[in-house]
Amino acid sequence: MNPLRFGLYAAGIHAPGLDTLAALRLATREGVPAETLAPAALPAPAGLPANERRRASQAVRLVLACVERALVDSPFAADELRVVCATDEGTGEVCLQMLESLATNRQVSPLAFPNSVQNAPSGNLSIAHGNREPGSVVSFGLESFASGLLCAVVDATADRRPVMLVSYDPAMPQPLAELLPVTRPTACAWILAADGVAGKAAPLARFELALADPAAAPASPLPAWLPAHWAAHSSARAIAALGLLEAPATARMHLPLGGRTLVLKRVAGVGA
Amino acid sequence: MSSPPDNPSLGLVASTVVHAAGPGPGPLWDAAIEGRTGLRRNDLDWCALDAWLGRVPGVEGTALPPALAPWDCRNHRLAWMALRDPAFMTAVEAAIARHGADRVGLLLGTSTSGIRSTEQAYAHRLAEGQWPAGFDWRHSHSSDSLARFAAAALGLRGPQTVLTTACSSSAKVFLAARRWIQLGLVDAAVVGGADSLCLSTLHGFDALQLLSDDACRPFDAARRGISIGEAAGFVLLAREPAAVSLAGGGESSDAFHMSAPHPEGRGAAQAMRSALDATGLAPRDIGYVNAHGTATPANDRAEASALASVFGPRGVPVSSTKGITGHTLGACGVVDAILTAKALEEALLPPSAMLLEPDPGLPVDVLREARPAPGMRYAMSNNFGFGGSNCSLVFRRSD
Repeated sequence: MNPLRFGLYAAGIHAPGLDTLAALRLATREGVPAETLAPAALPAPAGLPANERRRASQAVRLVLACVERALVDSPFAADELRVVCATDEGTGEVCLQMLESLATNRQVSPLAFPNSVQNAPSGNLSIAHGNREPGSVVSFGLESFASGLLCAVVDATADRRPVMLVSYDPAMPQPLAELLPVTRPTACAWILAADGVAGKAAPLARFELALADPAAAPASPLPAWLPAHWAAHSSARAIAALGLLEAPATARMHLPLGGRTLVLKRVAGVGA
Repeated sequence: MSSPPDNPSLGLVASTVVHAAGPGPGPLWDAAIEGRTGLRRNDLDWCALDAWLGRVPGVEGTALPPALAPWDCRNHRLAWMALRDPAFMTAVEAAIARHGADRVGLLLGTSTSGIRSTEQAYAHRLAEGQWPAGFDWRHSHSSDSLARFAAAALGLRGPQTVLTTACSSSAKVFLAARRWIQLGLVDAAVVGGADSLCLSTLHGFDALQLLSDDACRPFDAARRGISIGEAAGFVLLAREPAAVSLAGGGESSDAFHMSAPHPEGRGAAQAMRSALDATGLAPRDIGYVNAHGTATPANDRAEASALASVFGPRGVPVSSTKGITGHTLGACGVVDAILTAKALEEALLPPSAMLLEPDPGLPVDVLREARPAPGMRYAMSNNFGFGGSNCSLVFRRSD
């Protein structure tokens, strides 16, 4: 395959200690572990109708919050973006709520069930922005970001439309955190497009994406500026990849994906 | 005839499916043509709901081969029942021999994966204070486990993913695979999906009052909701001649409501129009639509409205598989794709099983009996899911 080229035009982040792209870039430069103990509050999603806003799960709030941050600097309107959501266990508290009901009185809440599907944040995102463009949700364990990045860049290249990629992990309540130790939510959103799609807008950085043999491209370790226990968060790879914005123009990151490795490489130049 | 590189004609080289009406594409087609249902009154010993189910016989007694044993759960047993089909295995082996194991992609859809295992394990955790010995969430319930299991079963080492957009999941994988092949990431791909019976969906749809207490009757005047089924299906797509190929498709979002369709089927119509645009076809070119047809009053009304807006009132013959297999949720996309391909191959349109009296208020030509369709070149398969996720696929009969 020829490498797929794309530009990253805007990004949003929601993680403890990393609430802005500027904070992430600073942590990258200074190599200081970012996490703080201050809770990163998840705002009620303003874009949803009142009923949906009240019902919004933590996962929905997480996705909408980091998307709002990415949209601030986006050259594209919210309703023209294709959406790819990438998550490991993307339902968190709703999954537990369902399991609890099913193990006891089997009185499942009619509000919980539609929020228990992995694409609930994606559906709510489309409702919040009146966005009728296609949306996909991929879930591929700790390789969820790699899977989402590949699907997003493929969509952007094949269909020549800008794409919003959201990589996220809602917190897993106990005892589900015993299965997947994600205790605090992390997420980031990338707005990307293939060359020539964004008009005069300049990207934050340009990248190439290719598939490689895992033997020749072992997985990149998480950088030291991320808390080590975020290794259990699929979205930590997406946050780490944003660190390439501060890296030299040939820096790369290796992301295992199934039987292959995805190579994300920074390439020189900004501008359309 | 060679295709332009950016618009691959992808043959459906091999397919396999298990469903309530029998193992394999053959029994699915036979049941469809005969209008025979695989639905039975709920006889699960772990769920007491008054409902009809598309339960696949023999799942409980199916053992995975020792090498695949770590992945044991209801969903992967169901998947294995489909994957072990010798003709399908042989076709995948041939694709691996021809292209290399790392050049065959794997893109599967599921909604609930092996959640039944977690339901059982959680009840145990609640009673005993610890997870049951041997419970392995990563190998059973985690969404990626379906693809990792299938990759191990088939010997695939290419890029992989699992799409989870509720009931459109295993339809959307066809279009994702098409893009992977189009851009040269892989030369061929196994697509499909699996969803199995679990308390989450049974009680979830019951809570929404969408479960029928009778066998589901898509497009019928007396339809009262869905019957949940389980299925697993897989298709090998490659740039090779085959009786039927994937011509393209369209996707959209309703941007309307999490669990209710847009009343006029706005997003559904957009997906169908987008599929026609992508394939350069006019509505009159489509000889048959395999509708999503879930049999809830609102869903069928919305889809009928969307079909009428794209094809004209009663403008194209339609039928639904849900009366045969039940609504197999994340697996229904691949089940419907396999049936639609068979209809093209046989030039015969299957009736809508369980239909007694078509709803006179729906502007659709619902097939009451099998109808010959000589000369049919193209057919469409629709799947729509929670969250307003819509997908329409177009298949082409080879000359």
